[in-house]
Amino acid sequence: MSKELIRLKDVSQTFDDGVTVLKDINIYFNDREFLTLLGPSGCGKTTLLRIIGGFQTPTAGEVYFDGEKINNVPPYKRQVNTVFQKYALFPHLNVYENVAFGLRIPREETGPNGKAVKVKLPRAEIDARVREMLEVVSLKGFEHRSIASLSGGQQQRVAIARALVNRPKVLLLDEPLGALDKRLRKDMQQELKRIQQRLGITFINVTHDQEEALAMSDTVVVMNEGVVQQIGTPEDIYNEPKNAFVADFIGESNIVDGIMRADRVVEIFNRRFPCLDAGFEKDEPVDVVIRPEDVDIVPEAEGQLRGVVTSVTFKGVHYDTIVDFYGFKWLIETTDYCPVDSRIGIKIDPDGIHVMKKSKYSGLYGDYSSYSEEYDEINDPTLLEAEEERADDED
Amino acid sequence: MRKNRFGSRTLIGLCFLFLYLPIFLLIFFSFNAGDSSAVWRGFSLQWYAELFHNRLVLESLATTLLVSLLATAISTVAGTFAAIGIYALTKKWRDPVLVVNDLPMMNADIVTGVSLLLLFVAFFHGWGAIANWLNSWQSLIRFPTRLTLGLGTLLIAHVSFNIPYVILNVSPRLRQMDANLVEAAQDLGCTWMQAFFKVILPEIKPGIVSGALIAFTMSVDDFVISYFTAGSSTQTLSMTIYSMTKKRVTPVVNAVSTLIFLAVLILLVINNIREARQVKLAAKRASFEPVREDPRVERFREWMSTPRGRLVRRVTAAVLCAAFLGTVTFLTAFTTSRPVVNVCSWGEYIDEDLITEFEEQTGIRVNYQTAESNEALYSLLSNGGADYDVVVPSDYMISQLIEEGRLEELDYSQIPNFEKIDSRFKNLPYDPENKYTVPYTWGTVGIIYNAALVEDEIDSWSVLYDDKYAGQVLLIDNSRDAFGIALKYLGYSVNTTDPDEIQAAYALVEDAYQRGVFQGKVMDQVFQTMEGGNASFATYYAGDFLSMLENNEDLRFVVPKEGSNWFVDAMCVLKDAPNYDNAMKWINFIASTDSNLRNMDYIWYASPNKEALELYPAWYEEQYGEELDPEIYAIMAAPQEVLDRCEMYVCLPKATRSLYNELWIKLGL
Repeated sequence: MSKELIRLKDVSQTFDDGVTVLKDINIYFNDREFLTLLGPSGCGKTTLLRIIGGFQTPTAGEVYFDGEKINNVPPYKRQVNTVFQKYALFPHLNVYENVAFGLRIPREETGPNGKAVKVKLPRAEIDARVREMLEVVSLKGFEHRSIASLSGGQQQRVAIARALVNRPKVLLLDEPLGALDKRLRKDMQQELKRIQQRLGITFINVTHDQEEALAMSDTVVVMNEGVVQQIGTPEDIYNEPKNAFVADFIGESNIVDGIMRADRVVEIFNRRFPCLDAGFEKDEPVDVVIRPEDVDIVPEAEGQLRGVVTSVTFKGVHYDTIVDFYGFKWLIETTDYCPVDSRIGIKIDPDGIHVMKKSKYSGLYGDYSSYSEEYDEINDPTLLEAEEERADDED
Repeated sequence: MRKNRFGSRTLIGLCFLFLYLPIFLLIFFSFNAGDSSAVWRGFSLQWYAELFHNRLVLESLATTLLVSLLATAISTVAGTFAAIGIYALTKKWRDPVLVVNDLPMMNADIVTGVSLLLLFVAFFHGWGAIANWLNSWQSLIRFPTRLTLGLGTLLIAHVSFNIPYVILNVSPRLRQMDANLVEAAQDLGCTWMQAFFKVILPEIKPGIVSGALIAFTMSVDDFVISYFTAGSSTQTLSMTIYSMTKKRVTPVVNAVSTLIFLAVLILLVINNIREARQVKLAAKRASFEPVREDPRVERFREWMSTPRGRLVRRVTAAVLCAAFLGTVTFLTAFTTSRPVVNVCSWGEYIDEDLITEFEEQTGIRVNYQTAESNEALYSLLSNGGADYDVVVPSDYMISQLIEEGRLEELDYSQIPNFEKIDSRFKNLPYDPENKYTVPYTWGTVGIIYNAALVEDEIDSWSVLYDDKYAGQVLLIDNSRDAFGIALKYLGYSVNTTDPDEIQAAYALVEDAYQRGVFQGKVMDQVFQTMEGGNASFATYYAGDFLSMLENNEDLRFVVPKEGSNWFVDAMCVLKDAPNYDNAMKWINFIASTDSNLRNMDYIWYASPNKEALELYPAWYEEQYGEELDPEIYAIMAAPQEVLDRCEMYVCLPKATRSLYNELWIKLGL
């Protein structure tokens, strides 16, 4: 794509209490890209962000910025700015002063005789840059409003403007949309993407919301338990997940055990299915991912597999239908209504099947036996928040 | 339901009445035209006027303000940094440290006060050697080798008890602060220090201001800790009020208490309003809910962020800082700069105009303190905290002080007025060569009785032990006087060292006590009890009787036929007095005929100045346009024949003193 800007080499982070949150991270970030660190709470993504921001020094490994090692460079000397989780706006300053904050701090620069000198930006330049940035985030006219009088979305924009006004090379966003309601979140996703493209700088975004990650990013880094699971474009991540964790975390997946009988032939439930994957050993056990939208429901007699419908939920465009195949429950998204207890058959096209190597996550995900509970959990914001707080406390 | 609510409201009403009635009464009577705390004599502001002419009150007010302001400033800064330090600790340490911080606030003031006193005294004890070493080692700064309690120790004490309150108020603000704020500031280019000033400080400012307000309130309010750490030459307002109440609660006390109550009330109201506002704001912020401010407030904020508004803000801040510094400087000048003389006397024992006059004449500031009794004075002197120049102990205490080498010889060449002292009061047994003392007053002890309650002609101590007056007699609350009177009644000397005679005196008092003759034992409470007609008999000093007479005309005074004690209180100078020459000037001024006349008129104790004593009846007539009642004059300045049957106390040997103590405790009244 373009040139490399940040590189982490063998970075590990262990906290005082002995908990290791990052293990041998090797990763690089390109200039001008929109990258998302995606993973569940406690996966180490925020810690990774804090290491890049300079708020944390890694226990081991090196951090390079533009080819220079910056492990011990304090935050105020890095060309990086952050949008914090709850914005961390300065409540005692108004919108204008919040944005101007970074510009009013005298910068240390090397003077003509090689000595460090403090340079203060002229008032007019500060004013011009603040106003320009407020326009970028559509907050013109809010200059003198107090922070307390703004809505969540407006505060979010102030936080972005405050960070960007310093013209950083990289903008770090720590769960920037977490505190917004769903509709506002959608708007801000596009807004962020628009701003990133307009300014042409690197955005590194941290989120646990896979939808947000897929919608905004050029590159997605999926993390779990302090380890990078997969790096790729949203399409790669979705269509070619590397293991059961990624497949489950990104979108909905039915993950079943299979055996590679030959190149492009996989056996599930003792039936052979044609697929597009090749390069496995003969008779190698594998995980097979079948996305709910890739399954066609057909009359029982025509099906490659036959099962019984155990639950149906209307979702607007489609029905979430749970089907029991030999004791293993699948989620199928279909526009056809099949009543509970009806017997149906299914067909899967070869490109609807994705075969993965076995990993430590095999067998943990992809069964919808406990579907309803899991669904609730994902959708219950209070549960998520509680979990995040727990994760915060651990920091 | 309805009835129930009525009941609970009544209950709440009663609770508040119980809480506030005393204060309302106090405020009410501060406007009383009369000097009683029980009878309303019409509205008047005279006590407030008197308050602002009372230099003791004004000076102690200045001390209180100075100490409170400085202590608040210092403890606010120290407490804020301490709170930040505690905040930065890990959870494991933070909680125990906060508990340790809370302890001093829960701790009894008296324990804090005494322990600070011990610390200071111990430090002063060791300081001499350190100062000598420092002085021998370098010659840049001369360190004083002798330190005493005073403004400095008072300030240290106030700072130390204020810091926990500041921490208590700042800590929650820090905990509520979004931890990311500091990181955000650093992210935007601040070093940690810049972040502290630009972000942390404004964010915890409400906590700091509350902490400062509470600290200031606590400082102004404090009595116990100040009492122990202020030393002898410094007096805070609450200490002054305390010493004013020792004699009689005058309406001046009501007036000053009312003003303090109002000041504290205003501070608390301000603080509470601010806190309520902050809580509301914090709740809104936590929920990301836009706060709808009053548009006027919003406009004011906007204006404040314009260049002109910023200028106004800076000027205001500068003016406030200047005002603070100015006040502190003024108060410091007011309380410390002038040459001083430290005097410790008894309560209500001087015409205060004399102090003012002396200060105007000489430019020397008089630090006028009072002690409660000779014994209290002695313990003040012996535990080393006192730095008085002039003290006014009684005869027997003087001889003890001389014996212990605690007094300095006087330079009589600087006290020409000593000439005027009646020779009767010179070279008395307590100071046979008259090297240490100039008499201040003299007088007799006698029976005070209420003629409205007693029909008999009283001329003997016997009434004090008589069943006829059971429950009507007030026993004087010190062993020397109580047993001395009994000894006199039994026909012995007040200065006897014979244990049998003393035991006999004890038996007399003990027996009367068992029979229920005594209503109680009193010192200064005697004023209120006798003036109020609540007892028939008391034993007290002639001068104080005349003060009581002004408030109750039924009272009579007699020096019984068996004889009594007569006493002299004399001015002495303590060894190593820091202001010796000023002390000489003060003694000479007080010994003058004019001072003696005015003092005699004010406190009703007889003067030892021959001229003044003789001139007084004429002077009185000139002043008040009426003749001085010769009976009153005879009570005040007892004629020689009365003095002839009286004895002066001498310092008793140690064994006798401990016998007195032992028996007094055994009596255990």
